[in-house]
Amino acid sequence: MTMKKWLAAAAFSAAMTGAAYAQQTIKIGVSGPYTGGSASMGVSMRDGVKLATQEINKAGGVLGKQIQLIERDDEAKNELGVQIAQELINKEQVVATVGFINTGVSLASQRFYQEAEIPVMNNVATGTLVTQQFKAPENKSNYVFRNAANDTIQSSMIAEAVKKNGYTKVAIIADSTNYGQLGRADLEKALAERGLKPVAIEKFNIGDTDMTAQALRAKDAGADVVLTYAIGPELAQTVNAVVKLGWKVPVMGSWTLSMASFIDAAGANGEGVMMPQTFIQLPSTPKRKSFIDAYQAAYKVDRIPSPVSAAQGYDSMYLLAAAINQAKSTDGRKVREALENLTTKVEGVVTTYDKPFSATDHEAITANIPVLGIVKGGRVVPANPADLEGAGALRVKPKS
Amino acid sequence: MQNFFQILVSGISVGMIYGVIAFGYQLTFATSKTLNFGQGEALTLGALVGLTCVNFLIGLHLGTLAAYLIALPFVFAFGLAQGAVVERLGVRQAMKTKSEAGWIMATIALGIIFKNMAENIWGKDPLKFPSPLSENPLTIAGVNIRPMEIAIVLGALAMMLAVEAFNRRSIYGKAVVATSNDRDAAGLMGINTPLVITFSYALSSLAAALAGVLIAPITLTGANMGAALGLKAFAVAIIGGLSSGLGVVVGGLILGITESMTGFYFDTGYKDVPGLILLLLVLSLKPAGLFGKTAIKKV
Repeated sequence: MTMKKWLAAAAFSAAMTGAAYAQQTIKIGVSGPYTGGSASMGVSMRDGVKLATQEINKAGGVLGKQIQLIERDDEAKNELGVQIAQELINKEQVVATVGFINTGVSLASQRFYQEAEIPVMNNVATGTLVTQQFKAPENKSNYVFRNAANDTIQSSMIAEAVKKNGYTKVAIIADSTNYGQLGRADLEKALAERGLKPVAIEKFNIGDTDMTAQALRAKDAGADVVLTYAIGPELAQTVNAVVKLGWKVPVMGSWTLSMASFIDAAGANGEGVMMPQTFIQLPSTPKRKSFIDAYQAAYKVDRIPSPVSAAQGYDSMYLLAAAINQAKSTDGRKVREALENLTTKVEGVVTTYDKPFSATDHEAITANIPVLGIVKGGRVVPANPADLEGAGALRVKPKS
Repeated sequence: MQNFFQILVSGISVGMIYGVIAFGYQLTFATSKTLNFGQGEALTLGALVGLTCVNFLIGLHLGTLAAYLIALPFVFAFGLAQGAVVERLGVRQAMKTKSEAGWIMATIALGIIFKNMAENIWGKDPLKFPSPLSENPLTIAGVNIRPMEIAIVLGALAMMLAVEAFNRRSIYGKAVVATSNDRDAAGLMGINTPLVITFSYALSSLAAALAGVLIAPITLTGANMGAALGLKAFAVAIIGGLSSGLGVVVGGLILGITESMTGFYFDTGYKDVPGLILLLLVLSLKPAGLFGKTAIKKV
């Protein structure tokens, strides 16, 4: 054979194996921050997704093929998330993507999935706008789904707890990101519905190390409860400032108060802080027990860095796999339709998903599912133990 | 009034951190007219090395305070070595080529390399630094202060006074001062100016490493901790004036106090604005900085 023929043969066989390989796997993107201040959520989410994928693959995969995860670190940066979305869609040609921890990254990146008609499953980002960005009737169909408790649900839970405990003077301390400010707006709305108007609304930037001014303003305004909307490291600085002022005030806030970076950094100052949780690391159902055991064995940890992210990440993969199986295709449009009309019950860690989505409702988690958690002894436990016992342990989305 | 002092105290402790990092910028600028744009990363590395040492010593059943004090010399030694590496690997090579901006890219590049190294060695999550002093606040005249905040101010002052004393009293310090005043003349007088410059880089990283271990117990320790602080300190160095050691300390205090005061008396959302306006004003009205000497450059 001449050189030319050799080369042609080599190229042909390479192309063949490439094509064969592509047919054997189903590529799914996993996008989240594995570095930086949101890393504990991103890494836990990814590990939950990986755990579910291994189980699904071991059981034969979907449509007779193995799932191949394409992981990308968006560093919680909007611009990087946008790049990754385009890379996953155009270069990797993923069937779907799960992930997004940060609301800002999600809002910036998911429009590419929408345009490419590829479903995206938000498993952590909680901004209320996330599933509303491409809602009908402005858009023919919406490719954005979510299995996390959105900010509307969380803020009304927080506001309800405020009211139930008889607090009347509320201070809100939130960070200046999309997450903090959208959440702050939701919180104000939820408080207004209950006839409460915050006496102080304060702000700080990511990376700030001293929140004395914010805490002091809240204290000066006579607040009897502090509500937060931010992430781990800055939340720790906030409670540290509150304690430094010698100010005895209850602190409540969004689910991020369960992040390891908050609990570890705040130490004793973080004890007693309350937040909504879709999942608490307790073996309250057999499914939860096997998930926790598997996670601990696979990643050699006792405490999951962010249990909520891990559980929702795990569930997101099962929901997606069920939809692909039902669609009998990896075509984005068919997978979306299958998600909107899921006929099989999916037993997840957070809840059992029975028709979790419809054409107009892309939220799998409803207001009745999350429970209030409280930091005790460096771990999140249920604020009301009855929430995770007996028949109350599994809360499911009500039939519409 | 009590609130005013409470805010003042927190402004001073934040400002002192800015000041001590900016002091590092000033040290190298004085001798070589170059800066280490990886100061923030030098701080990060100092804090992380400190964390490893402290945890190791606590593992040997030492008290946290004893562990902290024993770890300090190791952190200083590491800071010195790290600064010398930056100068030898980055700045000196770039200066040889007579490029105006090469050293800028070289120090930024080394900073990124150090940050990535830190991410790989210590992980990407923020870590808790065991506090050597009690975390319970002290109440002095109605103002609550965490003991570590006092330690920051005292530690930073002690370091800067030590450097000043070294420069004034010792023969080696005089070589540094001579190099700062006129590098060529100092070289002609037999001073090994390249060595002096390496030394000033080493000292500047030491200052950053000290700042790192001072603030680590009250902030979190992690690969990203230095980025924002390094940038703020750079603004401080411009405000105070890069040619004056005292100037950068005062600049740091000005920025720290303005930030806290604006946050409290105006709006916490606009906390960073006055500092930056001040920076722009200084640049347009007194480019050498508030305490800087105007240099005459003959062309």
